[in-house]
Amino acid sequence: MIGEISHFLSLSAVVIFCLILIFNFFFIFDKTHSNQLSLSLRMFNQACWLVFISFGMYVYLSINDDFSIAYIASHSNSQLPIFYKISSIWSAHEGSMFLWIVFLTVWSILFINSLHRNHPLKRITLLMLSLIILGFLLFLLLTSNPFERILPFGAIEGADINPVLQDPALAIHPPMLYLGYVGFVISFSFITAYLFHGNFELEWEKDIKNWSLVAWIFLTIGITLGSWWAYYELGWGGYWFWDPVENVALMPWLAATAFMHSLYASSKSNVLKTWTMFLGILIFALSLFGAFIVRSGIIDSVHSFANDPQRGLYLLIFSGLITLLALGIFAYRVPSLNVSRFVISGSKESYLSMNNILMITSIFSIFLGVTYPLIIEAVNGEKVSIGPPYYNTIFAPLILIASIFIMASLDSIWQRSKPFKSIVSSIIVPMILSLIFTYVVWHVTAVFSILSYIGIFSGSLILFSYLYRILSNFFYKKFINIGSAVAHIGFGLLFIAISFNSILSYEKNLNLAPGETILIDESIEEFSFDDIKVLKASNHDVISVEVSLLQDGNNIFLNPQKRKYATRGQITTESSIHASILKDTYLTIGDQLENGSWTFALKINYFIKWIWFSASLMVMGMLITIFKKKAI
Amino acid sequence: MLQARKNRLWKFFIILFLSAGGISLILFSLNSKLDLFYTPSEMLEADIKPGYRIKLGGMVKTGSIIRNGTTIKFIATDFVKEVPVIFDGVPPDLFKEDSGVVVLGYFLDGMFEAEEIFAKHDENYMPPALSIEGAKI
Repeated sequence: MIGEISHFLSLSAVVIFCLILIFNFFFIFDKTHSNQLSLSLRMFNQACWLVFISFGMYVYLSINDDFSIAYIASHSNSQLPIFYKISSIWSAHEGSMFLWIVFLTVWSILFINSLHRNHPLKRITLLMLSLIILGFLLFLLLTSNPFERILPFGAIEGADINPVLQDPALAIHPPMLYLGYVGFVISFSFITAYLFHGNFELEWEKDIKNWSLVAWIFLTIGITLGSWWAYYELGWGGYWFWDPVENVALMPWLAATAFMHSLYASSKSNVLKTWTMFLGILIFALSLFGAFIVRSGIIDSVHSFANDPQRGLYLLIFSGLITLLALGIFAYRVPSLNVSRFVISGSKESYLSMNNILMITSIFSIFLGVTYPLIIEAVNGEKVSIGPPYYNTIFAPLILIASIFIMASLDSIWQRSKPFKSIVSSIIVPMILSLIFTYVVWHVTAVFSILSYIGIFSGSLILFSYLYRILSNFFYKKFINIGSAVAHIGFGLLFIAISFNSILSYEKNLNLAPGETILIDESIEEFSFDDIKVLKASNHDVISVEVSLLQDGNNIFLNPQKRKYATRGQITTESSIHASILKDTYLTIGDQLENGSWTFALKINYFIKWIWFSASLMVMGMLITIFKKKAI
Repeated sequence: MLQARKNRLWKFFIILFLSAGGISLILFSLNSKLDLFYTPSEMLEADIKPGYRIKLGGMVKTGSIIRNGTTIKFIATDFVKEVPVIFDGVPPDLFKEDSGVVVLGYFLDGMFEAEEIFAKHDENYMPPALSIEGAKI
């Protein structure tokens, strides 16, 4: 019964959103007074609440194990802890789409109500938001209905959530990611409304700035959590695979990062306004593209979601129309936008715009990498896949150029060109320090990889420029933009960490019998297979192995496991990680051989913790920027 | 010619040059960095140069897995042709007999040397090319 009510509430929301669209359609050109705006607003709020209540009831159903609902029956289980019963909702296509819509309405309702009562852009923003929510609600109800019942009798027990998804990081990762993805619906709708309205005296930057910054934070946290989870849970020891699904999350992130920079530049110097608007539209368009790629299953990915051509077609048409609508309005209005088009070379905004171009280039390269297999297959029927080497070769030079512009921008000023001579000192110092640093790394590690050294050099260039800048500004008691400094130091550290990780890490495949001890290398003098146990846990059997290592003079105990889950019969590998500041010792069990010995994969991952640390620095920098009102 | 026009022409050429350079770099990188995907029959028919990295997708033949230390040998099949595969390391959990597998590596003298065996999130995963061909059979 509750399932039907929940379903009915979602359907009612669809009806109300339709009414809002029809009703307000007659007033879209009414720019002077707000005909019945408050009525539309009330309807909008009610519709959003209907969606929330509907989702709330769905959560209730999932907690109370209503296995007569097909989706819950195939993704949850009565033995699960409540936490995972809730997170099982977004463990597959239908429920995660539902969550996506809920977040869409959360952002929309908060934003619409934060606008001034008679804000001239309110109606069109409202319409845009309603249109997008309606499109996704219809997608959910028509093609991927989570409310579908198993008739006439429901399942007695649920089929269980995929065990690799039974993990706190993965329970939080999709909500964070979705909050980030859909958060940019605000910039998308508001900029479209601004362009449609046509009164260019209005301000739009101020109203959406903080919303976009918060969405960026969620997106960053979401991507980082996903990477962290893949590292420790999937047992193959990597943190980024350039998988299509990762790529479609990275594209909006890059666009959002470019957007924030250009928003900053346009608020300081009145240039790049058109460009900023384009980016504001692009972010959400890329989110929609991402939804299409992930949900249609058009590209073979490890995140095998739903493979349903009908869904893909719907999303393609819907997101294509929405994007075309926004870009059409943009193209129509651009000529009449009276903005300053001339960027003074050598000024701060000129460097910012250069890096904006680089970010767009990287988005384009990723986009090409994601779609190229489709193009090739359509052209000559060959199946190809594009792996990490492509992205690494593209990104290394881009980052090198970007780091030089970041360095130059630090000492430059808004709207005025600064003679090259006056910024020489602040370029020379970090340049020399980075060269020395790169040389020392090369000397110590004696490994050579051109891409990694580009990464180390670029990363340290950013790092040293900011440290030098902070020190000198502190010394002369000048203003330091702490938020930006922290975020960029994080960015620099990220590339140093990634490059170190790629040149220093190594792995060994081992084959040992219980009780055996072997020497691995000068760092790990002893590797002893101490014990193996078979244990029973509530919903899985465990093969638990105890291993002790003598690593760099310290005794380390590792406890990797293999689990077999009762309900799905699925086997998972639980890695055991010993983390120190510089490196992770990462061990997973393989299989048992006929002679009773076991195989192990031992991976020494350098600087991997630093990758996530750098990401959190970026988030922290952004938080400082939001809370320090003076900063922007 | 006016100075401003001349400047603009220069800028135009610089931008044209840079973007042409960038695009050719990307395309070059794309062509040298992509891995072609084959099923066993396709791979045996195609003339694959030694040292050319490819992806092979098929099913692990029943009873074909032989382990020796950390080395694993098995036969990848598409129920028409078979290719022996050798791999050193720990394969993912979902690697087992009678299930789909995708390997990345080199084909040399009738033996596929795998650098990587791909894990899939979903245990019901099948290489798409194979599931289409499976449907044909």
